[in-house]
Amino acid sequence: MGAKYKPKITIFHCTNAFSELASLSLTGGNGFDLRTVKLPCSSMIKDVYLLRAFEAGSDAVIVLACPEGECRQVSGNLRARKRVEKVQEILDEIGIDGRRLSLFNIAPEDREATAKIIRKTLSGLATLDSNTAS
Amino acid sequence: MIVGEQKPIQEIKEMVAPYKRLLILGCGTCVKTCFAGGEDEVATLASSLRLAFRGQGKNLKIEELTIERQCEDAFIQEAARSIADSDAVLSLACGAGIQALARRFPTTPVLPGVNTTFIGVLESQGLFTEECLGCGDCELARFGGVCPITRCAKKLLNGPCGGSRDGKCELDGDTPCAWQLIIDRLSVLGQLDNLRAQVPPKDWRLSNSGGPRKLVREDHII
Repeated sequence: MGAKYKPKITIFHCTNAFSELASLSLTGGNGFDLRTVKLPCSSMIKDVYLLRAFEAGSDAVIVLACPEGECRQVSGNLRARKRVEKVQEILDEIGIDGRRLSLFNIAPEDREATAKIIRKTLSGLATLDSNTAS
Repeated sequence: MIVGEQKPIQEIKEMVAPYKRLLILGCGTCVKTCFAGGEDEVATLASSLRLAFRGQGKNLKIEELTIERQCEDAFIQEAARSIADSDAVLSLACGAGIQALARRFPTTPVLPGVNTTFIGVLESQGLFTEECLGCGDCELARFGGVCPITRCAKKLLNGPCGGSRDGKCELDGDTPCAWQLIIDRLSVLGQLDNLRAQVPPKDWRLSNSGGPRKLVREDHII
């Protein structure tokens, strides 16, 4: 990993889990680039969206969903988890490492939890090379 | 519908490796319904292959397209221009669609991205089950709409075999015993007497055992 390596993280988030994630003070200037994509429900995530985030250069992709049992669409967060698990398998198969993709259930607007998730993701990335496929 | 599942990415990757311009062609009918070859699967596979090859320093140019049906020439024609611009086509259709495509474009390699598995139904969300073998001589009226040829592991026409336990097949505890289903269904219909008649041996010449079949409809031929 080069000295100038600046990890790129993309977060797809349910608008009910986080209304304006982009306003987090964590965005930019902290040794990593953060892009956020707001979804009406985490279940709106498609396999290809996650993969295209990696194609666009993301080193890690995070999906933030509402806590299980609290999805306004009943089972949207469960569907999102299934999709994430499937894409993790694809990433492993194509040599990108499924650990670059993760889903977390967070309480609405829990900024501290989100900050922890990003820190955890960054420390996880430190054990991996940059996304060579980007 | 015809049910299929996408081949493993590694197998697909090896198949398409010799080519530089690839068309991934989806089919918007059966394989779309079983999540093997519709627009979403085309997009996901294309992205996966781009990432896989980029990681190896190879730039594979991939075009994505899904047509309504690959088993009909009228729809295949819509892909003609994209096929002309490609070194090879990775078809996500069933085996019939792939062969129809190969027949229509004899000088373009057409590669299978899907394993065609069976004729079946969507039994519940994400669960597809085989319901028809295409035997060529349907006997469902006799059996209350449950096919023992497809759904009984022993293909018994004069069942049950006696190995059924709690309504499940003795070969696979997750599979309903077809003969249990037949008896239950005929009971509801008041047609249990159907089972008094001995069913003669099946004429398998009407199935694929007699070689590839052909259906001629003279009334549609000018």
